[in-house]
Amino acid sequence: MDPKRPIIEPALDEPLLVVDAPPVEKLPPRLWIRRRLFSNFYNSAITVVLLPLIAYLAYRGLLFLFVTARWSPVRENLTLFMVGRYPRAELWRIVAQLIIWSSALGLAWGAAVSGARFRAAQAGLPYREDPLLAKVRRYWALLSMLGLFLLMTQSYGPLLVTAAALAAGSLLKSLAARVPGRHNVLLWAGVGVLGVVGYQIVSGFHGNGWLWMGAPVALGVVSLLGRVEWPSQSRWRVVRLGAVVGVFAIAYAVYALVGTPGVGWDDWEGFHLNLITATVAIVLAFPLGLLLALARRSSLPALRVMSTAYIELIRGVPLITLLLMSQTFIGFFLDTDTPLSSLTRSIAAFTLFTAAYVAEIVRGGLQSVDRGQIEAGQSVGLSSFAVTRLIVLPLALRAVIPAMVGQFIALFKDTSLLSIVSVADLLFVRRVVHAQEAFRAFGIAETLVFVMLAFWAVSFTMSRESQRLERRLGIGER
Amino acid sequence: MKLTKRWLVLLLSLVLVGAACGDDDDDDAGGGSGTLEEVRDRGTLRCGVNSVLPGFGLVDEAGNYTGFDVDFCKVVAAGVLGDAGAVEYVPLGVEDRFTALQSGEVDVLLRNSTWTATRDGQEGLTFVFTTFYDGQGVMVPADSGFTTLEDLADANVCTLTGTTTELNLTSVFNARGIPFNPVTFTDSAELRPAYEAGQCEVWTSDRSQLAAFKLAIESEGGAEQHIMDETISKEPLGPAVRDGDSAWAQAVQWSVMATVIAWELGIDSSNVGSFTADDANPAIARFVGGAAPGLGLDADFAVQIISQVGNYEEIYTEHIAPLGLPLEGSTNDLWTNGNGGVMYVPPYS
Amino acid sequence: MGGRHFAGRPSSVATAGKLVSSPTVDPTAQRHPTAVWYRNVRVLRFVGQGVAVVAVVGLLAWLFNNLVNSLDRLNIGTDFGFLDRPTDFQIPFDEGFDPRSSVRSMVLVGVKNTLVAGAFGIALASILGVLIGIARLSSNWLVARLATVYVETLRNIPPLVVIIFFGFAVFTFGPFPILRDAEGLSLFGNTALILSNTVWGVPSLVAGDGTGMFWIFVLAGVVLAAGVARWRTAVGERTGRPHHRVAYAFGTLVAVAVAGAFVAGDVYSVSWPAISENGRRILGGFQLNFGFISVAVALGLYTASHIAEIVRGSILAVPMGQSEAANSVALTSFQRYRHVVLPQALRIAVPPIISQYLNLVKNTSLGVAVSYAEITFLTQSSIGNGRPAPQSIAVLMGVYLVFSLTISFVLNLYNRRIQLVER
Repeated sequence: MDPKRPIIEPALDEPLLVVDAPPVEKLPPRLWIRRRLFSNFYNSAITVVLLPLIAYLAYRGLLFLFVTARWSPVRENLTLFMVGRYPRAELWRIVAQLIIWSSALGLAWGAAVSGARFRAAQAGLPYREDPLLAKVRRYWALLSMLGLFLLMTQSYGPLLVTAAALAAGSLLKSLAARVPGRHNVLLWAGVGVLGVVGYQIVSGFHGNGWLWMGAPVALGVVSLLGRVEWPSQSRWRVVRLGAVVGVFAIAYAVYALVGTPGVGWDDWEGFHLNLITATVAIVLAFPLGLLLALARRSSLPALRVMSTAYIELIRGVPLITLLLMSQTFIGFFLDTDTPLSSLTRSIAAFTLFTAAYVAEIVRGGLQSVDRGQIEAGQSVGLSSFAVTRLIVLPLALRAVIPAMVGQFIALFKDTSLLSIVSVADLLFVRRVVHAQEAFRAFGIAETLVFVMLAFWAVSFTMSRESQRLERRLGIGER
Repeated sequence: MKLTKRWLVLLLSLVLVGAACGDDDDDDAGGGSGTLEEVRDRGTLRCGVNSVLPGFGLVDEAGNYTGFDVDFCKVVAAGVLGDAGAVEYVPLGVEDRFTALQSGEVDVLLRNSTWTATRDGQEGLTFVFTTFYDGQGVMVPADSGFTTLEDLADANVCTLTGTTTELNLTSVFNARGIPFNPVTFTDSAELRPAYEAGQCEVWTSDRSQLAAFKLAIESEGGAEQHIMDETISKEPLGPAVRDGDSAWAQAVQWSVMATVIAWELGIDSSNVGSFTADDANPAIARFVGGAAPGLGLDADFAVQIISQVGNYEEIYTEHIAPLGLPLEGSTNDLWTNGNGGVMYVPPYS
Repeated sequence: MGGRHFAGRPSSVATAGKLVSSPTVDPTAQRHPTAVWYRNVRVLRFVGQGVAVVAVVGLLAWLFNNLVNSLDRLNIGTDFGFLDRPTDFQIPFDEGFDPRSSVRSMVLVGVKNTLVAGAFGIALASILGVLIGIARLSSNWLVARLATVYVETLRNIPPLVVIIFFGFAVFTFGPFPILRDAEGLSLFGNTALILSNTVWGVPSLVAGDGTGMFWIFVLAGVVLAAGVARWRTAVGERTGRPHHRVAYAFGTLVAVAVAGAFVAGDVYSVSWPAISENGRRILGGFQLNFGFISVAVALGLYTASHIAEIVRGSILAVPMGQSEAANSVALTSFQRYRHVVLPQALRIAVPPIISQYLNLVKNTSLGVAVSYAEITFLTQSSIGNGRPAPQSIAVLMGVYLVFSLTISFVLNLYNRRIQLVER
């Protein structure tokens, strides 16, 4: 047994207790310098050469960033960079979305903490949470980017909005963390509901939104009903089906009656577009990818061949070719009266592309589930459906989460390709800004640095989180 | 691993649902005939524009579109719908500008597109009028001393990709036997620093664009620029509509031409209210009274256009003149002014 | 999840209409030996597959039909005849290309450019990636931190932004003068290197009369060297002493090549780069344009950060005991890496590294941002100039598919070989 690993480890949060870990050596500064920088001749030589070089580069970099750079193109067009030509009268929707999604993140965090605490209590181990300072250090990239961004704004609005979002997130997190672990499912259903609401507060509560709203609500309701003891299994099945159907019916009715308009996809631009495209593409690609992965592992040769052909075809071509295809003639494939908007076409291309990669990831996860687990499940009389639901999927998805986060990061970086097909994402807005009369002839490097920093901050934070997750889950070690 | 049909069905339906959940604000637009009725039913005009072209289609900090072509979108909206603000701007790039018009995503394309035979024929477009007579020009640093195209042998020539600029450059230089090396970029924000750093010695584009950037570079303290007198090609820019819809084409055409007619008649946005249908000048009387049935436009369309947007001179002066291209004496001047301009419109009678 | 209690029995294992068979014995076949046809799993599987195939093929046919109809409606050709029409535009930095030549030759130029940039990028990324991956594990804190900063910075910026930034930093705002003012670096009295902000000139080798004969000699030398290597391996196994087969084989090859050079005579001459009269071109030598250098080097740097992570992970995956054993027989750190750690680590690392190579080749499609004439850029230009989009993009995708399927095939071969060796 590895002394560094506790008995029961929560899926998403800190380890419960480090049992008998060897003490970490903390050297005094002089010894540290000697040991780590000048331990032998080669190391010393390298240090002597590198130190002044690094100091010089850092000096030049900081000089550029804070003294010589002219940030006015960024400063004056900050709204344009963030949300493009979004109707300024409807900006409250974006603000509301930010706050709601921040609350959803806080709720998710709280749910993870509550679940971890519950499992710790079940195992009889104490539970201790990371102090706030450690969390701040963890997210230093995103927070400093946020700080830089706030420095550039010209009014107090963004500052208030950021503060409100952070406050909402923290409040929900602390509330959720206090909820007993039995109700974890309800918390996650709440996260789902907040996620959908946050999306639709911008796009409007109409169309097919009732499906997306109904799903998490149905999950919560079914989980609540499941705590009751039902006289027979068939009765439970009937009740469950009725509950699901009822929830969806109510959602449909509500949406049909209320039906508020929102701002359509065509007006989503800027950095907001990069984030939304990545999120929507991976949400839509996940079921498709799951389907493809299952088909690829199927024993039916027809399904296997077709899905393999699709996956290999899509993985073999660069994304830019799919985007070019979507911009020029994907509309010709569908015989619609309504031509698809530019963003819809691009998201279709992203979804098709991501689905192939998700399929490979999920296939790897499914393959990693030990055969013995399935056989063990069957040996206690579980149906194949139950084996899948209770044993295979949790194991497979746990193994797959870091890779999925990595795919999301890659997808987020790939949204920069939208600028090549003239869709107004962050990189394209840079072009728009430099067409304006005031900035036609300067600020080119500064805007590029700003775009780089924006992408870097988000990707770096997500990749750090994924690395922590991988360490916590012990992928490849157990 | 076992899987039941139920899972498959469930997942399949999730996928289909996900595909159906998308653009919720679908408007009803289609190609072919009947665009006029469709636009009137919808109540807004969908106009394909540029968002990165100085003078023609730009986006300001507040997210509003401004520019010469943008104003003509407003002109068409005012003429057809009576409201210059009822426009939905659709920014288009080089790849999809024509397919957007063909597929019905936009009703009219006002994206500084050049009128060529290939586009009329192969791309299924109909150009209705030339709002701006431009030409492809060549810009070099003033201290380079180049005066003719022959001086540019073997030079690096910066240009934007996917435009008639590239084609014209190749055909003209090859015809005159001048070897050259094209350096193409996707947008001017990357081209300009390359040009200023000397990575290319020549910048070729529409003369209006060159004028805009010449002004920008010189005002920022850069080196002085010189736009050569030689014009590589003619670039007549104007609005385009889909083939096969002559009613719509005529409506757009006369709305746009109304601005030039008003200029000819001396009507602008400040004095349009003072003219009535009983004016002494019969041309003005017809124009303001609007007796031209069969065009599919309302009787007062001309008044709406001029009062809400302005006449050609006002539009030009607001957007193109600041680029350093004065209207008087240019190719876009009125033919009747006798200054060598070619802006000539049929009479409104 | 909270307890859900049933008063009844758990559900049975058998369900009709399973489309994926279980890994263990299928109880259905045993419990229903004479099933009705609509409960017979074999029939259902067959019918299910048939339905699926019909559905998918039908969908594809419908989509394709729509496409053809739309193209016909707009008078865009649906054939591939455009490949024979002239290109009509000039390719950047390719003086030899005649705009009147066909689109097919343009495609070939694009493919060649893509492959060349890919090859350079792969070479750079491999070397740099391995070095940085090892550097991340260095005992020198500064080196380790620097390598970490490099990896974490470049991995998290989109490759498009990296390429644009590199192009700006090195060429547009960089230290190199314009070609007219560029001064070459001299070597042996000849200009060996010309650096400007548009093109770099390097010397090249020009084939002479004897080149063909020289290469025949080299080929013979390779065969001979292989034979020598086998002989030395046998000697080594017999006597147990180091065989130095690489040294022997290489020596043989060099000897034969030198002999061939003498016999053949005028094998290669060096062509030195020089700036032309009008200061706009480099005559002679090999001309590298700034688009190529930006794409190849920027992508090399970007992919190196990924390869560094892979290498680091694979080195860490080598069991600690191996390093301890190496230390216990007093190998130096360099020997430890070379003989113990790296061979095992690289075996684990090769598949993900090869998929990174594929990513690099696919990322060359971003060359449009720096005016590098690779196949995607040329396709985009030709579409913008009126060539039919669906066919052009089909050709483009076909090109990339050939690359990726080749690389996947190589990867599969490697995997199979490794597995055989282990068992």
